[in-house]
Amino acid sequence: MRRYVERTLIYLMMALISAPFLSMYIGFFLRAFGEGSLLGIVPQRWGFSNFQFLWKPIAWGLGRTTMWAALGNTVLFAVTSGVVVTVICMLAGYALSRIEFPGRNFYLTLQLMLHAVPGQILLIAIFFLLLYVGLLHRLPGVALARASLEIPLGIWIAKGFFDGIPWDVERSAMVDGCTRFQVWYMIFLPLVRPGIAAVFIWGFLFAWHDFIYVYTLLPGTIKVMSTLIQSLLATEVIDYGYLAALSLIYALPPLVLFVFLQRALLKVPVFGGKGLG
Amino acid sequence: MVFLGPSTVLIVFFYFVPVILTFLIAFTGMDRTLRWEFVGIRNFARLFGIGARDPLVPKVLINTLVYTAGALPVTIIGGLLISILSMRMHPRAGVFFRALFFVPRALPPVVWGFLWAWSFEGTRYGLFNAIRTALGLPVIHWLIKYPMVIVILANGFLGISLAMLVFSSAIATIPRDYVRAAEIDGATEWQVVKYVIIPLLKWPILTMTAWHLMSFLNSYVYIMLITGGGPYYATEVWSLYAYHAAFNRYRYGYGASLITLLVVVNLLLLLGVLRAFGVKRMLARGKIET
Repeated sequence: MRRYVERTLIYLMMALISAPFLSMYIGFFLRAFGEGSLLGIVPQRWGFSNFQFLWKPIAWGLGRTTMWAALGNTVLFAVTSGVVVTVICMLAGYALSRIEFPGRNFYLTLQLMLHAVPGQILLIAIFFLLLYVGLLHRLPGVALARASLEIPLGIWIAKGFFDGIPWDVERSAMVDGCTRFQVWYMIFLPLVRPGIAAVFIWGFLFAWHDFIYVYTLLPGTIKVMSTLIQSLLATEVIDYGYLAALSLIYALPPLVLFVFLQRALLKVPVFGGKGLG
Repeated sequence: MVFLGPSTVLIVFFYFVPVILTFLIAFTGMDRTLRWEFVGIRNFARLFGIGARDPLVPKVLINTLVYTAGALPVTIIGGLLISILSMRMHPRAGVFFRALFFVPRALPPVVWGFLWAWSFEGTRYGLFNAIRTALGLPVIHWLIKYPMVIVILANGFLGISLAMLVFSSAIATIPRDYVRAAEIDGATEWQVVKYVIIPLLKWPILTMTAWHLMSFLNSYVYIMLITGGGPYYATEVWSLYAYHAAFNRYRYGYGASLITLLVVVNLLLLLGVLRAFGVKRMLARGKIET
């Protein structure tokens, strides 16, 4: 009997904590798909009129763009960052997993330390850095700066995948006379395909999410989804339904990718159970 | 070396060079003309209230402390609560609730900020005020009356999404026998949690506390999106103040001096964490050629 009461209490407490969130998420969906004057909580009609940005241009203040242009920029930004992170982390992750050299542990610890210090506080210096090398206000340059933030943990993710490959594969290739680089390129890369995908998603996702870098380092005329939503939020009259619909389109791809990424993240000892026991 | 070269170059270029550049800019009166004009320690003198002082600094400092001291317990206690509750449920229900609380981390910052700004909007168009109106209650100007509470909760629940996952995976590694034995001895749920689960979570709790202490101390993006530091600097924290100084008022030199202090605090914290935790334990060995 007591156990029964306790079980019920557990569900009750959880329901209580999650109630505000559930209502926020549900309210968000109702707002995106609801039409008509919504003074209460429940919309009067259902429909897609909030999604009119799919075929109409978007205007705010004096600015004007289309959702597709912003989405295109977001994709370009995220893919650039994803490719940079993938190439660099797959190289470094291999070396840190397979080659013993002085300072190896230091290098790995350094990555963790760098990940712990959010790079966003160095934005002022990065602004000047990009200005002096002529990359400020350019999408690829800002994407490169954004990619560097995800490299420290990306290296750990890549290393986790290389760690999982048995030694024999590599040894036989080395015996046959392959160089380190050939081993990496011809033997390892095909074997760690899931790792490549995970690291790419890692670099892609956070660039897709990024707001502060694009907002600060790109001119207001180059809109990505995040800065577009933010400038619509900053206007006088806010259409919440419209914004909820726009946010939904923007937030859906990363939500799907996260499901995939979660498994890869568990291989990083700091986040999985391994290093914590 | 071919393998570590590219990553080293990028890390030096985007971490070490910016730190040095920040230190240098902190000693200049850099403004919108972007001219290097060294002014000695004037920025720091202003910060510490020597000579012409900045009246906002004490307020910003207190805000930062309140915000960090608020969001940290929300993250750790909330994370513990949700992970323990979800691990004591039917597995399917547990997964559902963990997914629910993980959503904030998978959402873009702008969307999470929008969700909070809209939910706590001060008119009846905001979610919670719409619910209040439907129940016949007056509207509350949440973001004006309780800006700090809302900012703390919005960031705290982001912290929870990570802490909860880490705690849950740690709980999953606790042998079932421990819990079974306690239950057979007649322990209540609360006693199982207090005497079996929590003591075994000491290490993850410490890691997550250190991690989020640094993360909250440096975070400003979500605050910027939800309240913009307002109303009347009520939620202006240190890093946000530095951002505003540099990019809204074009006083890059002053902003850099604020960041310099923050970087020093971060380095001290990192050293402290390293000493307390030890490097060895954080590194699982890879397959090394012998």
